Amino acid sequence: MKITLKIWRQDGPKSKGKLETFQLNEVEQDMSFLEMLDMLNESLAVKGERSVEFDHDCREGICGQCSLVINGQAHGPESHYTTCQTHMRSFKDGDTIFIEPFRAKAFPVIRDLKVNRDSFDTIIQAGGYISALTGNAPEANNIPIHHNISESAFDSAACIGCGACVATCKNSSAALFVSAKISHLAKLPQGQVERKERIEYMITAHDEEGFGSCTHTGACAMVCPQEVQLLDIARMNYEFNRALCKAT
Amino acid sequence: MAFIQGLFKTSVARKNIMAVTGLFTVFFLIIHLVGNLILIIPDSFFPIEFWSNVANQHDMYNAYSHFLVHFWPISVVAWILYIGLAIHVIDALLITVKNWKAHGEKYVKIDNSTSNWYSRNMGILGTIIGIFIVIHMGQFWLKYKVLGTEHDLYELVVGTFKQTWVLVLYLIGIISLGFHLAHGILSAHRSLGIYPKSIMNVMKYIGLCLAILMAVLYGIIPLIIYFQ
Repeated sequence: MKITLKIWRQDGPKSKGKLETFQLNEVEQDMSFLEMLDMLNESLAVKGERSVEFDHDCREGICGQCSLVINGQAHGPESHYTTCQTHMRSFKDGDTIFIEPFRAKAFPVIRDLKVNRDSFDTIIQAGGYISALTGNAPEANNIPIHHNISESAFDSAACIGCGACVATCKNSSAALFVSAKISHLAKLPQGQVERKERIEYMITAHDEEGFGSCTHTGACAMVCPQEVQLLDIARMNYEFNRALCKAT
Repeated sequence: MAFIQGLFKTSVARKNIMAVTGLFTVFFLIIHLVGNLILIIPDSFFPIEFWSNVANQHDMYNAYSHFLVHFWPISVVAWILYIGLAIHVIDALLITVKNWKAHGEKYVKIDNSTSNWYSRNMGILGTIIGIFIVIHMGQFWLKYKVLGTEHDLYELVVGTFKQTWVLVLYLIGIISLGFHLAHGILSAHRSLGIYPKSIMNVMKYIGLCLAILMAVLYGIIPLIIYFQ
């Protein structure tokens, strides 16, 4: 396959970026998208040019490290995929592919396609956990949980924190990310003790990190690799209003 | 305590305010529509026996508008509506400015197939509706209720709707309203935190049907008067 790439190049967080065009003539359909970028970087290295920097880690679709907005869609053309699980068979011979970083004020570009997603960590550190004594794992059957509830909590817990929701949102809102953690813990008995504080702290952190507000366009849920439900955002809003009623 | 103080600054609380003021306006729109459907009751329905002095459409509409202006509880609700709408607009502006700031550099290539165009353009639709409301109130509310220069509202309405530019303006305003509601009603329920799947699956269709119904019924009033 012959592929033309238009890739965002930017030297640092404060420098101005622009699209650069590259041509690859021996791309195979079985290659993953990231392998195609590896191929490009190898050719750049041979020529002594600076390689294109992009985020990646497990390449198994579970770590949430890969990003990229490919042809205007976060994680590329396949729905509910990560970039690392996207393969070149999703493209045609002769295609031009635009590759840009995830864009949001809260996700500053480090270099080229790499972005800093520390703001997600800050939100989780604000309340996305339960406080428990360390030690041996407790007996699993001590707290009975209905199968449907545990499954539903797991659906929310599946969020890998990749940030595609923010990249896709026209308001750069992290509502889907925050709501996944809020819903996950609100559904389980272990999350009840800190339920009120959690929503207060996490929403405050979300706003302080510079994310926008959710207008329910639903674009985030359409690109989410883990298919986190839009209803989790409604659940998060419920938790917020519940905390408010308890506070006053 | 800091949470309560900062309450109206949080993104979720601001959306709550949008939802409450928006849904109250929807409630008003339904009542406003029912009243104004008098304008399209065919002549063959008159005279109606159950209400005195209702010999024709003209009398019925003027009796209805007289009641609206002179029954004080309606004025109270009207003022709640004006304040609610003002808050809806101010809050929308504040949210929009914050959202603009949250956005990084624009994408060179953007694929918008993951969301509806009207859900992305609530601000533009809202602005069109806002301009429409100002003109609409200037045409009727100002002349009939505030200045009192017009005493026969039926004549004023029919006379106004006979003008082509008014018809076009109303159709643009009403279609914008339809799309604004098509997203707004469901979105408001989500903002308020109604999350059970069974309710929201039904709400999705109720919101859409209500939006279409409002747009169609509001739209046919000026159309019928214009072509009568």
